[in-house]
Amino acid sequence: MEILRNMWRRKFRTFLTIFGIVIGMFAFTVMGSMALKFNKMIDGGKRFITGQISIMPKGGSYMGSGGGMLPVDTLNKIAQIEGVDAVAAGIELSLEEPDPDDPTGSSISFGTPPTIEGTDLNSNHKNRNWLTLDMKDGRMLEKGDSDDKIVIGYTIALDKKWHVSDKVKIRGREFEVIGIIDKTMTGPDSYVFMPITPARELFIEANPFLKSLKEQSDNAAKISDRALAAMPTQTREQILQAKSFKVEDVNTMAAASWKDGEDSETVSNRIKDQFKDEVLVLSPVKMGEEIDKATVIFNAIILGVAIIALVVGGFSIINTMVMSISERTKEIGIKKAMGASSWSIAREYSLEAGIIGLLGGGIGMGLGVLTAILLNNKMASKGAEIFLIQSNFLIVVIVFSFIIGIIAGIIPAFRAARMKAVDAIREL
Amino acid sequence: MSKVIISAKNIRKSYKLSKKNIIEALRGVNIEVKEGDFSAIVGPSGCGKSTLMHILGLLDRPDEGELFIGDINIKTIKDRQAHKLRAKKIGFIFQGFNLIPTLTALENVMLAGRYGGMKKKERKERALKILKVLGLIDRVNHKPNELSGGQQQRVAIARALINDPAVILADEPTGELDSKTSLEIIEILKKLNKDNNQTFLLVTHNTDVANACKKIIKLKDGKNE
Repeated sequence: MEILRNMWRRKFRTFLTIFGIVIGMFAFTVMGSMALKFNKMIDGGKRFITGQISIMPKGGSYMGSGGGMLPVDTLNKIAQIEGVDAVAAGIELSLEEPDPDDPTGSSISFGTPPTIEGTDLNSNHKNRNWLTLDMKDGRMLEKGDSDDKIVIGYTIALDKKWHVSDKVKIRGREFEVIGIIDKTMTGPDSYVFMPITPARELFIEANPFLKSLKEQSDNAAKISDRALAAMPTQTREQILQAKSFKVEDVNTMAAASWKDGEDSETVSNRIKDQFKDEVLVLSPVKMGEEIDKATVIFNAIILGVAIIALVVGGFSIINTMVMSISERTKEIGIKKAMGASSWSIAREYSLEAGIIGLLGGGIGMGLGVLTAILLNNKMASKGAEIFLIQSNFLIVVIVFSFIIGIIAGIIPAFRAARMKAVDAIREL
Repeated sequence: MSKVIISAKNIRKSYKLSKKNIIEALRGVNIEVKEGDFSAIVGPSGCGKSTLMHILGLLDRPDEGELFIGDINIKTIKDRQAHKLRAKKIGFIFQGFNLIPTLTALENVMLAGRYGGMKKKERKERALKILKVLGLIDRVNHKPNELSGGQQQRVAIARALINDPAVILADEPTGELDSKTSLEIIEILKKLNKDNNQTFLLVTHNTDVANACKKIIKLKDGKNE
């Protein structure tokens, strides 16, 4: 009680000091909530990417299909490697048909362009973290879903204004949205997940070379063995070759899962060793490390803000307390004459500093939370909530500001405590 | 024979203001305060009255000499322990009242009780009782700036009394009061001495105050006159 009255005695000064801490803690709360959201989103993408061993044809790149294919035979062989549980073929292709008038795309996009991810739902392959991907709405694709079902990433839903159970057209074909994945800030945001069959058909449709191969193969299939035998050798060989084209070989990527108890890194390396001429292998650990690098930088910024808040707030508390104590030298003398111990004097002043910190922290945090909520509400219509308010974090902010106060108060408090009673009394 | 509360022998204290300027404030003072005494230390300015008061009140240490508070030789206690002895055995009354401005009359008195180790309930009861005796019961929730000089000094007396000290040291207790109020305060102290056998040791310039005391100790140039 006395502490509060002492603070009230110098209202303006106390207000200024508290205000300094308010600003620091406000920034800390806002930035911290942003970091929490960011980390959570990143974590979603990371879980997806680290839940599987990604396999790509050599000559392809992770972001797009560079032309290579993964024949089903190769995938079947990979599935036989020790430790591999299952391999699922996948198709990756651009969501949009290239615009003939603007082949490079009218807008420059950062990160992943909208991409169709065709997934083999019948494979036993399971992304280890597949089911743990946070869904914003609806559900993930499951085994047995019909070919017209899709699940879309957060950015796709936002850009296209697609909702769950909407019937949508992709490259001229109709699909039904059954789920929207929560923001991951990574690849999955721009993905349209669909079963592999329609994806493969769309892929072949978009590729004139594959399209003609398929047509030839389809035509060749119509020719009976007897008719074939009657044809000239050269023609027969061409037709046999056309027949050998299998739609199942059209795979631009694959995902392998590892058996329980196996180390994903060891399994990745086994695949790498045996198929290094045919495929590129991206291990979960390596992908996870790449993602962590990005997170570390962001977290370092937040930590920086916290440290600035600490230093600025701390010094202003020290300054206030030193002034306050020199004003109250006389009082300290009286208290000592009355028998106050040095400890009780020190405790009183560091508690006062702690309360200044606590008040500043509380108000700053309140304003920070308010700002985050207001901005979130404003952004929610655009689907881009950027703050995650976590009670644990808020408790940390409060405790942190109290501790800053106490620590900043310790130096002046001990100066007060060490003051010799007789010197303080002489000022009477 | 009454108990000796303070026994000081050959107390010396000097202050070094600079290398060449050393002030010898006390040059061998002897003093004895017994239970029930009502004594005054008198002497001209700079004779070492206040310094002696600080030493007797354990706010400062003598350079030389022996000082006993009750049967405790203060040489044997550390600074850290001195505050306990001060809280329980010694009460202070200052010239300028020196109440804590943010606290009410009651809280000022109670604070001293806290330093004396009293429980909250006990110190509140006791503070109210003393304030009542001193005629301040309707002033307990007033802050010092809402009280007259005489009332403030009475609060200070109550504060000195709360821990039932062996001795109350009063440094010019009427220094800032008009003669009428001074007389009132002296009467209160005398009554406490008479009724409760409360021991007082006053420092004063005021001859009226000194004359009201049972015993006068004269100091001159840092020595007993």
